[in-house]
Amino acid sequence: MVATTDTIDIFLQPLGIYILALGVGFLIPLVYRVNRNSAILVFFTALLIMIVIAGLNLLAIINGASVMDIETAGIKPPFSINLRFGLFEGACVLAVNTVALLGAWHYLPRLKQHAAALLLYLILVMGINGMVMTRDLFNLFIFIEITSIATYALIGMERTAKGLAAGFKYIMATSIASAFYLLGTIFIYYQTGTLNIDDIIANQQLIIGPIGFIATLFILTGLLIELKPYPANGWGLDVYETAPGGIASLISVGVSAGVFFALYKVLPIMDLYLTSIAFIGGFTFLISNFIGLKQENTKRLLGYSSIGQMGLLTLVIALLVQLDASAHIPLIIGGLFINHLFAKAGLFWLAAIVDRKNIKDWSSIAKHPSLLILLCILLTALVGLPPFPGFWAKWELVMLLASEQLFGWITLILIGSLLEAVYLFRWFSYARNVESSESVEKPAEVSVSFLQQIPIFITGLLLFAIAYVMSRFMNVDNQLIYFPLMAGFAIWLIDRLNVRVKSLIMLLAVSIGGYFLTKDLEGINKLFSYLLIGGGILVSFATLYRHDDRKGFYPLLSVLLLSLATLLRAQTSLEFFFAWELMALSSYLLVMLGRNKQNCDPGIRLGNDQKNDQKYNQINAIKPALIYLLFSLASAYFILVGFAVSYSATGNYFLFSLGDSGTSTTLAFSLLAIGFIIKIGGFGLHIWLPEVYAEADDDFTAILSSVVSKAGIFGLIIIAAHLGVRADIGLNPAYVLGWIGILTATFGALMAVFQEDIKRLVAYSSMGQLGYIVTGVALMSHLGWVSAMYMTVNHFLFKGILFLSVAGVILRTNERFMYKMGGLIKNMPVTFTFTMIAIIAMSGVPPLSGYGGKWMFFNALMDKGWYWIAALAFFSSAVAFLYMFRLLQTVFLGQRKLEHRKLREAPVILLIPQGILIAIIFVISAYPKILIDVISTAIDPWISNTLVWKGTAMQAHYGYWDAPLIMAIIAGAWIAPLILLLLFAKTMKVQKVEQFNIVYAAERPRRPEETHFAYNFYAHYDRAIGFVVRPRATAFWNAVIEWTHSFAASLRIFYNGNGQTYALFIIMYFVGLFLVNGGLAL
Amino acid sequence: MNTLINFPISLIVLCSGFILILLGLWGMLTQRHLIRIIIGFSLMDTGIHMVMVSIGYVTGGTAPIINNAVPMSEATNLVVDPVPSALVLTAIVIGLGVTAVMLSFAVRIYKTHKTLMIDKLTESKW
Repeated sequence: MVATTDTIDIFLQPLGIYILALGVGFLIPLVYRVNRNSAILVFFTALLIMIVIAGLNLLAIINGASVMDIETAGIKPPFSINLRFGLFEGACVLAVNTVALLGAWHYLPRLKQHAAALLLYLILVMGINGMVMTRDLFNLFIFIEITSIATYALIGMERTAKGLAAGFKYIMATSIASAFYLLGTIFIYYQTGTLNIDDIIANQQLIIGPIGFIATLFILTGLLIELKPYPANGWGLDVYETAPGGIASLISVGVSAGVFFALYKVLPIMDLYLTSIAFIGGFTFLISNFIGLKQENTKRLLGYSSIGQMGLLTLVIALLVQLDASAHIPLIIGGLFINHLFAKAGLFWLAAIVDRKNIKDWSSIAKHPSLLILLCILLTALVGLPPFPGFWAKWELVMLLASEQLFGWITLILIGSLLEAVYLFRWFSYARNVESSESVEKPAEVSVSFLQQIPIFITGLLLFAIAYVMSRFMNVDNQLIYFPLMAGFAIWLIDRLNVRVKSLIMLLAVSIGGYFLTKDLEGINKLFSYLLIGGGILVSFATLYRHDDRKGFYPLLSVLLLSLATLLRAQTSLEFFFAWELMALSSYLLVMLGRNKQNCDPGIRLGNDQKNDQKYNQINAIKPALIYLLFSLASAYFILVGFAVSYSATGNYFLFSLGDSGTSTTLAFSLLAIGFIIKIGGFGLHIWLPEVYAEADDDFTAILSSVVSKAGIFGLIIIAAHLGVRADIGLNPAYVLGWIGILTATFGALMAVFQEDIKRLVAYSSMGQLGYIVTGVALMSHLGWVSAMYMTVNHFLFKGILFLSVAGVILRTNERFMYKMGGLIKNMPVTFTFTMIAIIAMSGVPPLSGYGGKWMFFNALMDKGWYWIAALAFFSSAVAFLYMFRLLQTVFLGQRKLEHRKLREAPVILLIPQGILIAIIFVISAYPKILIDVISTAIDPWISNTLVWKGTAMQAHYGYWDAPLIMAIIAGAWIAPLILLLLFAKTMKVQKVEQFNIVYAAERPRRPEETHFAYNFYAHYDRAIGFVVRPRATAFWNAVIEWTHSFAASLRIFYNGNGQTYALFIIMYFVGLFLVNGGLAL
Repeated sequence: MNTLINFPISLIVLCSGFILILLGLWGMLTQRHLIRIIIGFSLMDTGIHMVMVSIGYVTGGTAPIINNAVPMSEATNLVVDPVPSALVLTAIVIGLGVTAVMLSFAVRIYKTHKTLMIDKLTESKW
């Protein structure tokens, strides 16, 4: 009895993995002859037991067992080979074996055709286990070779021409690499007299002189080459491209993991080369992601991403060792490693089952929700967005590098990540795109069985689970940050219900959740919670006007709204950043759901040259969504670095200690401000905004503009409060911010004037109005901030109304071009009235709420002495009148189109939220003191109150503002003429203007619509100042895109496909490392 | 006669091993025929094996068997280091395996491509 348990115990030792692989492995061909299915069963049992062994032993170590050193041959090391199973080894082996099992499941249809394939697969997995565990330099070589030979054979199993060619190049390259490694090993032995790695490290003073130098260099080059550094990695890419997904995934994550671990083991004798290793890793990461931009082949794209990620790991391990920060290895390296392992493996399998070579053909899965969701989860994880392990690891990494002042590396890592996000999410865009499928190589629909998706699904689940464990390790105790995700998941479960039912459930859930999340808030956060959560729910109510199914819309909307709530709750920069990225991600996906196809009038949009206009017919929200995501990510990265700068000075994550950043304050403030400005759509960084607002669903645009944009304002106010006021950063960054705000306002207004598309007009207007708020925040004075927050509330009110009424107009007319409308006042009087009130509230004329905002704003500007900004603000307010007038005049007034005679009023569901917003506008307009008192109290802790009230009138340097009085006077001034008009109207002569009788003199109409008065409404202004608003920013960013892509093309000239060129690069790599590290001086 | 004996044989093996490695590498880089490339690899591999053997050699040393003639205390000076010899055996086996796989690839490549020229095998690039 005792003996039996002992045998089991011995068998479950890590050594069991090898016994199992070799013993069972070579049994498989035998069993296979008897019965194929039992062979498969044996195969899977073996893989499963490998996981169990790794798992049980890892568990024992986590529970406090000491690191296991497994000795062989009955002799102590260093005379015998020993294996080590510690925390890192265990985690790595467990992860690799898990992926191997899932990969075998995925690849089984092919594997089971040959007994040898099953055997080779087991041997391959065992080889990787060996690379991780062995502590013997030569034994490591053997495991590398075992793995390599098994890999070669598995690659050769697919007898495709391309696959074989790629396989041969792979063999050439890796055999040269292992030759280097073997030579290095033998020279190390020559100098130290041992092959045991620990012994070598202990005696590394013996590794000296030219022989020692060459020996370590050989070992290093051998291992680095196996990790596929740029540019000596063409052979790796070819294999990723041509090998079947099941094998490519194992090479990409499994074999690389083993080699990476091997590199980690020998790093202690590589002190001399750490800088070189870091640079090789860093540049491989950056350049792979650059070149990935040009790639359209799905699996090669994944190859670039794999190589990039391994480069990142190499960079980070070298930096961690160099900084002596090995305590960070589990979270940073572990997180990045596990993240890549599961996400990349899952993507390779997904690519294999979908089987579309070109990423442009992935539209085949556009109608396949489960595949889309899997793709989205894996891509999100790979890019390092929350809640996945990569997110936590990247956070830790950036914080660590910042505290060591290594900002160059941070920049490189973030640029690389952004580039990776570009090509990965571009792929997702193609997959989402129902319309376009360029090639006819494969049928449009894919047929993928449920079973095929299970391994991929499991990797997704594992990513979630590991991310959660990681967040616990990072002491993220606030479980509420996950609340939006869980709520979204719950809503997703009921996504099949009737749209009315599910939307109401979602609104209810968000109301309750939002209430509990925000009820304890105080001050500015409380104020914003009314706006973001209360306002968000109010505007979301309007989404009920649509009757279609809207799959995915409500789950994502609940994630978005609740992540806004957790954003407001955030106590630490980490919670803030988590919520921020969650918000960015969910709003990106929501924009992507937009399906506007009625905007098909080529040739007249500003900001689009003729060539693009041809394509405009097919445009939907997918391309703008991608741009939106990229700008959001860029914004998030600026915020991340901003927080990191502050962390490097303060040493903690609390938002309230941002102000203690000392000398780093200006830098932290500038970075954070840039991040928020991107999100707000600040001048020069705004190009995403009109596109996104125009192409998102009409009701979601209302949410984006009136609610989501306020998150950026909130962030700006928070950093202004913590960094701007308390630490007193001086005038400069704030003054620059003031200018950015006002330029945004001016150009937003000017751009809005010349739009033909109603949604783009309102979008530019939204951007412009936010500009004033930014300037208001930048003022850093009590009145400035009161005006900013007041305008924020006002912006929410009028933009909510405007976008919703625009949604109503588009719903009824099915048009977005204003010259195709007109005279709608007769059909939609309520919408007209609401729009008019919103416009008055926006314009800043008395008596409505906008006036108060502008009054305080100008007063605050004058107080501060920012006269030029005030002048520009005045100018842009005047410009704003032009587009507002255009909106009213061309849509609602003038002649009605014949086909619009029978249109009805907008649906009540759209009108109700507008009505409520109008009511709030009137209350605030009449009694602004209610709102201003709340704002003033919220600001008081930061900047003490300077407002002076006399009754209902607010006093300032340049006069006073008595809102109720103004309201009364204006009402009187309006009502009197109205009564007169009504009385005498019948006695006046009224002549009706015909539709086409306004043609500009001396202009030759080229198209019928040009004769319409509403077309090119402000042609005269266009001629005068139009040159100012030609889309320079768009042209600039287009040039950036163009340049990046051609640069990427020039970087990949090395990959000419010739195996000998690749071999030459490997040798040159060695020579390069030799020269760079002073080989000639020896 | 004397000079020839004083010149350690291990040095000759070491030098010719390196020459073989370089020759093999040169072959792999310049010969476009797959079989020649494989021969190049084989040469390089053999070269490495020779280097390995030469490193363990002790001039005038005897077989690493500890008995009356070779007492334990003086073993390190009298016998040839057995470890490299053991390693080289393993390395030879592995080299053989790799060569075999390369040759089988060459066979299959010839079947699919009808050529053995490596510069024709550039389907996947960029």
